[in-house]
Formats: sequence, structure tokens, C-alpha cells
Amino acid sequence: MSPLARLLSLGRSVGFAVVLLAVLLAVNLILSPARFQPGSWGALVGLAAPLIGAAIASTPVILAGRGGIDISVGPLMGFVNAVVIQMLFLKAGISSPLLLVPAALLIGALVGAANGFLATIVRIQPIVATLGTYLILTGVTLTILPAPIGPAPAWLKTLSGPLSMLPLALMFIAWWLVRRTPYHDQLMAVGSDDRAAYTAGVDVTRVRFIAYVMTGILGGCAGLMLTALIGSADPNIGPTYTLIAIAAVALGGVSLAGGRGGIAGAAIGAIDIFLLQSVLTTFNVSTFVLQIAYGAILVLAVMLTALQERLAMRGR
Amino acid sequence: MAGRNLFATTNARVVGAFCVAALLHLAGTMLIPGYSSPFAVRAMLVLASLLAVASIGQTLVVIMGGIDLSIPFVIGFANVVAAQLYGDGWNFVLVCGLVGVLAVLIGGLNGLIARSLDIQPLIVTLGIGMVVQGLVLLWTAGFPSGSAPQAVSSFVSIGGSAGPLPVPWLVPSLVVVAAIVVLVLERTPYGRRLYALGSNPGAAPLALIDPVRMWVITYAASAFFAAVAGVLLLGFTGSAYGDVGQPYLFQTIAAVVVGGAALVGGRGSYLGTIAGVLVLTEINTLLIGLGFQPSAVQAALGLIIVLLVSLYGRERHVSTTI
Repeated sequence: MSPLARLLSLGRSVGFAVVLLAVLLAVNLILSPARFQPGSWGALVGLAAPLIGAAIASTPVILAGRGGIDISVGPLMGFVNAVVIQMLFLKAGISSPLLLVPAALLIGALVGAANGFLATIVRIQPIVATLGTYLILTGVTLTILPAPIGPAPAWLKTLSGPLSMLPLALMFIAWWLVRRTPYHDQLMAVGSDDRAAYTAGVDVTRVRFIAYVMTGILGGCAGLMLTALIGSADPNIGPTYTLIAIAAVALGGVSLAGGRGGIAGAAIGAIDIFLLQSVLTTFNVSTFVLQIAYGAILVLAVMLTALQERLAMRGR
Repeated sequence: MAGRNLFATTNARVVGAFCVAALLHLAGTMLIPGYSSPFAVRAMLVLASLLAVASIGQTLVVIMGGIDLSIPFVIGFANVVAAQLYGDGWNFVLVCGLVGVLAVLIGGLNGLIARSLDIQPLIVTLGIGMVVQGLVLLWTAGFPSGSAPQAVSSFVSIGGSAGPLPVPWLVPSLVVVAAIVVLVLERTPYGRRLYALGSNPGAAPLALIDPVRMWVITYAASAFFAAVAGVLLLGFTGSAYGDVGQPYLFQTIAAVVVGGAALVGGRGSYLGTIAGVLVLTEINTLLIGLGFQPSAVQAALGLIIVLLVSLYGRERHVSTTI
């Protein structure tokens, strides 16, 4: 595929989200030029990073199709946050990134593997399996960390500003590498039509299992990004990311039915939601109005995405 | 019947869920003194009935192949609006009528948007729910006031009695409503269409089933029963609280699934949901009675849901669907 064709296909899959991104960015620049001056873009990326991370993490299992979804991504982020700060940093005194980063990714991989085991081998419906994990992780997090506690290691806090690009870039590089393997084609094939993929000799169970593990690892990384942003441990923040992250994925043109989209779309959807929050905050409205506008725009955005897809189908 | 297929049919799943509830009750009676005392049983029946009312809509929606995340928001909406208007001196029958109509409109909008544009109901119901909650908060400025009339309170009161029965009227009423729901699902054209649409959304229109109409009706019904639950909860807790429905978000889904429904649609029954409701209520009471912290209860609940569903709620392997 030539670069131009690739750009066009990306545009088609995330189409509406990109338009929304441009509009929201322009609105933000006009409304609060001070907040959005080029010098503070780094800090803004830092604020948006955990949501972008959560949306990226939610993507692989959704791509795998047949109701694939992981609602435990948010609680996983909270769990990683609690374990890294409370158990490893404050209790065990481990502060080296060489130990904490692999530990976070390992926790993510293990939780992802547990979800994958339940959803693909035991074959519980993914939303129920990950609901179970959601409840377990939330409960365990509150048990090991009943109240917020701090601080985070200094190196981790420095990742909150412009440097939060680093974990995001690593996520994209990791996904870019995955895309170069046959596994990515198999994932998309399974997501579009698992029966056809199965008859073509794809090991459907294995492909889906790996997708859950990838979601777990990316979720562990998002947990570290959350820790960097809040600079402490808080048992109540993680779970709030779950539904917003899935909304971001849907907004970014990733089909919740599977097989269509990628992490670029999910990231753009997350940035859309972040910019939307930012616009609404500058109007200085009450949090109640914020919530109304937020819900309304979420619904309108998915409606427009659907209408645009319908028009595109007609034009073909 | 081979052991592997023991739980294959929906009926067997329902029986299985009821057995689990009975076993849990037996375990509670043996482990905790007073677990089967009349008051404890009455309390459990009332809590279970409230959850059962909130789960009616989720059952219908799930059978149709959808999901309704707006239930907790509609519960909170009905709870706050009913209290506020009744506190302002409105006639309570009028209040209930208005809340019911508004809920039906909210639900209908959910179904209309999700089906006519083919959007994931997960996102639509979440977004609409957030708008509804925001509007209610805006209207009450975050501090709802008012209370329920005495009639509603005694209807759901744990200490109440229904004629000769030692339970409040809520419990026998629920039995009647449950019978009607089961009858509607099993014996009416609407019920047949619901299962048909859920098992094969592509083929259902060929059998002259209008999917948009079915989704609008069913989501409207779901919101209506959520509103009923919200008004009943107002009587139960005594005062209005916008977040009163939040625990019901995952509990209704869990009850429906533990009761043997498949979230991909076409399978499930309200009797199964009631079994699931009983299982969840028993687990909750048992764990709190054993002295677990709320966070530990939550973790255990997650573990038990996964265990139960892996026992009898497994999906087929892709190789058997070809």
C-alpha cells in the first residue's frame, strides 16, 4: 500500500473523529489561547495521556470481535497504581524503573492472561468475564489501599509532562511492530468473521487469548501513566476510566463488533474526549452541565459516525 | 444425558441457578446464627424484589441482543423527580404517571437511536443515561429534597405485611408481575418476536418483524421498570438520592447472566433472572454476615459470578457454530 492510500484508508476508518479533532482543537485555541499556547502542549499531553493509554489498551480485545471487550482496563490501571506505589515503592522500598516498569507490565500481562483464559478457554461472555475481573480488582485494590497515599518515585513523576509522550510512543511502536507480523492479519480476520477464519486454519482461541494479554500489558502501561499524572496512589480513580475509554474507542472509528480500526483511531477518539472536556471547562459551566454536554456529544458523535459510514457505503 | 450437556438447555440453567441459591441459603443458615430468622428472610426478599424489578428490563433487552447501561441513571432520575415533585405538593399518582411517561420516552429514544443507526447500545445508553443524570442534577442543583408518601414506604417496608402474609405487598406484587412477564415472553407474539430478533437479527425482518419498533418498545419497557424501581427505592430509603441506582448497573447484568441468558441474544428467561437475583442477594448477605469488608465482598462477588457462569454459562466453541 502506498503511503497516500494508507492515509486515505486511515482517514476513512477514523474520518469523523479526525474532523472532530480539528474542530475541537480550533475551538480550544480560540477560547483559551493561553492554555493552548505551544509551550504548554507538553503539559496537556500529560493530562490526556492516561485516557489515551486506556483507550489504546481497550482496543486489541475489541478488534478480536464476537463481543470482545475488556471493562477491567480501568480497575487494572488502579490496581497497578496501588501495587506499584503502596506495595513496591512504599513498603518494599523498590524505586528503580528497571524493576517497577517490568512489574507493572507483568501484572498487566497476568490480569490479561486471566481475562483471556476466562473469555477464550472457559468461554464466558467477555463482558461478564471482565466484569468479574473488574469487581475482583476493585475490591482487592481497596483492600490493599483503603485511602489515597503518596508520593510516587521522582522518575515516574517526571513522566507526567511532555515526557508522557515516551510511554505513548512506546505503545505505538509496539503496535507498529505487531502490525508487521502475520498475527495482526489473523486478529483482523478473526474479528471480522471468526467462522471464516477458523475454517481458513486460524487458531481463533489463541489469537483472541493473545489479544487479551496485549490489552493487559497496555493496561499496565496505562496504569503507570496514571500513576505519573496523579503522582500518588488513589484506589478510586482507575475504575472511572473504563467506560470513557470504551467510548473513546468507539468514537475513534473502531467497530465494537470487531475487525475494523486500530490504536490510532482509539487515540484520536481519546484526544477528542479530552479536548471536549477542555472546551466545556473553559465555559466555566457547572459540572452538571458538563455532564449533560458530555453525554449528548458522545451520542451525537457516534450517530454522526454511523451516518457518515452509511453515506460512504452508498457512495461506493 | 451426558454430564457435559447437563447445563446445555435454558431450563437446566435456571434450575441450576435456583439450586445454587438454595445451597447458599443452607450454607448461611449453618454458618451464621439468625440467618434464617423471619426478619432476615424478609429483608432478603425485599432486597431481592427491588433488584428483580430493576432487572426486568435488562432481561428483555438482553434477550433481544442489546444491553442497557441507562438503568441506574433512570432509577436515580425517577427517585429524585418523584420525591421532588411530591415534596412540591403534587398528587402522587400524577407524579408517578409523569415519571413513567418520561422514562418511556428516554427508553424509546435509546432504542430508536441504537437500532435505526445501528450503533452499539452500550455507548448510546451510557450517553443518554449521563444526559438524564446531568439534567436531574441541574434541576435539583445537586441537592434533591422530598420524600415518598407513606403508602409507598409501607409497600416496601421490611416490617410490613400483606394481609395474612408476613411480607410487604412488594413481594406478592412482584410474584404477579413476574408471572405476567413470563407469560408475555412465552405466550405472546411480542415474546416470540423478541426471541426471534435476538437469535437472528438478520433473519427476523424477513419474518416481518420490525427491528426498530421492537427495540423502541423493549428499551421503553426497560426504562419504565427502572423508573418503577426508582420510586420503590424512594419508599425503601425514605429520601431522594441521585446515585441510588448505581449498584444496579452491574447487578442487573450479573443477575441476568447468572440466570442463564446469553448477552449475544436469543436466550434467557425472566425466571432465570429471578434465580440470578436470589443468588446475588444470598451471596451479598452471606458475605456481609461473615464479617467481610465491602471491598472484600465486591471481590468475592466477582469471583463467584465468574465461577457460576463458567459452570453453566459457557459459550460454544467456534468450531461448533459452522
